[in-house]
Amino acid sequence: MNKWISRQHIISLLGAAALFTAQAALANGPIGEHVNHLSDNLDNYSKEVKWLNSEVEAMITRYHEGGVEAANPELLVENWESVQFHSAIETNYVPVYAAIWQGLFGVKGALEEQESEEEIRKQQRFFAESLWQGLGAVKLAAQYQDKGLTEHVKTTQENPTNSLEALDAIDNHLNRVVAKYAEKLPKEAVTIVHDTYLNLFEGVEGELIALDANLVEDLEKDFNVVLPQAIQNGASVDDVRKVVNTMQGKLDTAHALLEKSAEERKDVF
Amino acid sequence: MQRRRFIQSMAALAAAGALPFSLSPAFAAVSVDDLPKLEGELTLYLGRGEGGLYENVLKAIEERNPGFKLRIRRGPTASLANAILAEAKAGVKRADLFWAVDSGAIGMVTAEGLAQPLPADLTGQLHENFQFSNWTPVTGRVRTIPFNTDRLKAEDIPDDIMALADSDFKIGWAPAYASFQSFVTAMRILKGDKVTSDWLRGINKHAKKYAGELGVVMAVERGEVDIGLANHYYSLRLKSGKPDARVDLAFTRNDAGCLVNASGILALTEGDLPINFIRYLLSKEVQSYLAEQAYEIPLVDGVKPPEGLPNLALISPPDVDLTKLADLRPTIDLMRNVGIL
Repeated sequence: MNKWISRQHIISLLGAAALFTAQAALANGPIGEHVNHLSDNLDNYSKEVKWLNSEVEAMITRYHEGGVEAANPELLVENWESVQFHSAIETNYVPVYAAIWQGLFGVKGALEEQESEEEIRKQQRFFAESLWQGLGAVKLAAQYQDKGLTEHVKTTQENPTNSLEALDAIDNHLNRVVAKYAEKLPKEAVTIVHDTYLNLFEGVEGELIALDANLVEDLEKDFNVVLPQAIQNGASVDDVRKVVNTMQGKLDTAHALLEKSAEERKDVF
Repeated sequence: MQRRRFIQSMAALAAAGALPFSLSPAFAAVSVDDLPKLEGELTLYLGRGEGGLYENVLKAIEERNPGFKLRIRRGPTASLANAILAEAKAGVKRADLFWAVDSGAIGMVTAEGLAQPLPADLTGQLHENFQFSNWTPVTGRVRTIPFNTDRLKAEDIPDDIMALADSDFKIGWAPAYASFQSFVTAMRILKGDKVTSDWLRGINKHAKKYAGELGVVMAVERGEVDIGLANHYYSLRLKSGKPDARVDLAFTRNDAGCLVNASGILALTEGDLPINFIRYLLSKEVQSYLAEQAYEIPLVDGVKPPEGLPNLALISPPDVDLTKLADLRPTIDLMRNVGIL
């Protein structure tokens, strides 16, 4: 089980409401107010997931009958971008959002490359699983939203007011890096890495280096070399996700160090 | 030159352990115990800076003054300066105070005549070279040359920033970094565009680029480069977290290479409340806090500089009006023309 799935599993078990954080500024059009009323829209999201899966099945049938041209795999992207479930998952749990894109391009690629039936069905299953996982995450988020435990989805990004908030924002941004890469938008993914480093991590590392210089050195290398290179060299989405998961582990360590330091810091007056 | 005399006098005093980075003509730093209570509401535009440390200061001021409410708008310093100018043009005044991490952004606002005059007893807490009629520096930072101590000694580093262009050192720098661009702006002011362009070209031949200046200092420590160009506090922080770090600081003399820049604050509305708020930032307690926790250089009298700052006798900053560092556009254009951005 790779790490993002285990993270998802943990969320399901522990109900970590805090992880369902409101995301800002999406790349695929307006968010829509529906994301602030998830419970009211769960039926619709379920129908959309079923529809997406039935469209994939229909596409594979057309492929068998008339080849790639008849299948028109490009429709997968159009279909996915047309459903409201898209922004529901994007605003609530980016790791699964990335997996959906990964699954989508898995099916699309298998059809376009005229892979074996076994491979096409494998990619179809992966895509379907990621959609159902996404729906599960949105249902869980809806419960937290109903209890007032999640923030209202905002359309503008707030500036973190301290290093701990900045680390939380970095964690979210790194998930978005995987999502953009899974969307086949590597330049956008690298831009997010650079912006996250300059606008968020740079503000944290000065404080962090006084606590653990080696950790900062590692993260510096991750931000400026390892992650951008993995993306630019065309690594698989899973490999990019592994790099991000490793960085997130280091950020968890940084979080604990900074939290302890904040508790021990002398008062201003 | 008055500025040079100031620094030399200051350095002599600091070296003698008497008055670090300040001079006797300035009024002594005031304790918050002696400041008036703040009552009312203010809106502060806060340039993104030292993580949560500025926020801690602001929270502490509010907690100490239960009748005082501070509304804060946060953002990159240059964006907030532009917002203040745009609001003024539109006849709207939303900010009462502007705390910028960079004095250049302060200059953008003061140049438009938007800053209120400050009383002499407030500005008098800083040394005369840091006294301005309508804004006040809060803390300072100095440009330095971090060097790898396995390879070099301080005396191996030229004390003329211009000499680095023709040296054999492998140099680490962060051209996209705002503090670096302020330093290049200072060089343009002191030496002119042609000399600055030639210098950048010369350095570029044996330089390695990093995204930020902490990255530069860490590369120096690793030995990836021999020397770097960076603000002082990155090296102090690295040494705090890694006491055996193979890095030390060298300073050039009387040129942009040892520019002292400052964060600064100004009042946009009249009245005692914004002025008294500024007094809290210059208090002994806040200045000490920022020196100890953020490694920034206190600019008021009687407050110790950050631990680990090398002998100030080595520092001789150039005579540059800090508010003239505001307009980075010609600098960025020049750096693009040279091909380093």
